Amino acid sequence: MFEVARWPRNPWSVFDELDSLHTDFNRVLDGWDRSTESAGRYDRASRYRAVYPPMNVWSAEDGIVIDAELPGVDPKAVDISVQGDELTLKGEVNTATADDKAVCYRRERPSGSFTRTLRLPFRADSSAVRAQYRNGVLRLSIPRPEEEKPKKIAIEAA
Amino acid sequence: MMSEKHEQVVRTEDKQRAQAVERSEQQPDTIFVPDVDIREDDAALHLLADMPGVDQESANVTVENGVLTIEGQSRLEGPVGYELVGQEYGTGRFRRDFTLSDAVDVEGIKARARHGVLDVTLPKHEAVKTRKVAIES
Repeated sequence: MFEVARWPRNPWSVFDELDSLHTDFNRVLDGWDRSTESAGRYDRASRYRAVYPPMNVWSAEDGIVIDAELPGVDPKAVDISVQGDELTLKGEVNTATADDKAVCYRRERPSGSFTRTLRLPFRADSSAVRAQYRNGVLRLSIPRPEEEKPKKIAIEAA
Repeated sequence: MMSEKHEQVVRTEDKQRAQAVERSEQQPDTIFVPDVDIREDDAALHLLADMPGVDQESANVTVENGVLTIEGQSRLEGPVGYELVGQEYGTGRFRRDFTLSDAVDVEGIKARARHGVLDVTLPKHEAVKTRKVAIES
């Protein structure tokens, strides 16, 4: 018989990545992935093996909030753009060249350029997106436009 | 190559990592191991640790018996009234330990937390700093 659907039933998967973008942009993690071997089964600060930056996404009727872990990045070097229902985060992390005289013993922190695109469950208005960078976490607040909000449909008396 | 003294500073604390797992299995809260970059120049060792969500107040750097411990507590809460629909990372406590060699001048260690990165400078004792020797003609 019918299975009562759990609300919110959301066919949108928050990490619905666009396939074409997977190809070039894992470069930032190449060196990093090797160093995680030593971490073994310990909980790393970020378990991102395939994509960067790692994100946590919250949803409510008013909109979406995305937290992206980007420690040590210059907020001016991060490009946030919204086109239709696609949100793209692009930038560089830890690319400042170190002092040549310095010897590097350990390099675990990710470095390089990154691009990541998420598909939002609604078409967002790019001018309404707010971004805050605090303690290494970039918080994006994307309001849901009025026409995309769930609407109650009144049941007419027969 | 690397002298023995310097190797000590960057030696992976396997024992301490094992202890961290034991502790985290006994306690409900998880301890995250932050990624670090370690560099050395003539005057000091520089350690950068990624601890997103940690600020100056919730970071802690201590040295005891030649072991440097860096700790932090991530303080970013989720937005109120929202439902978590996707999660790729966890938040909580960070901790990592390093054994320091005698080359480090413990009194002079400085640490700063900015943009979720803990920046620790470990100066070397005068005696071990690299010195250029002039060759007399």
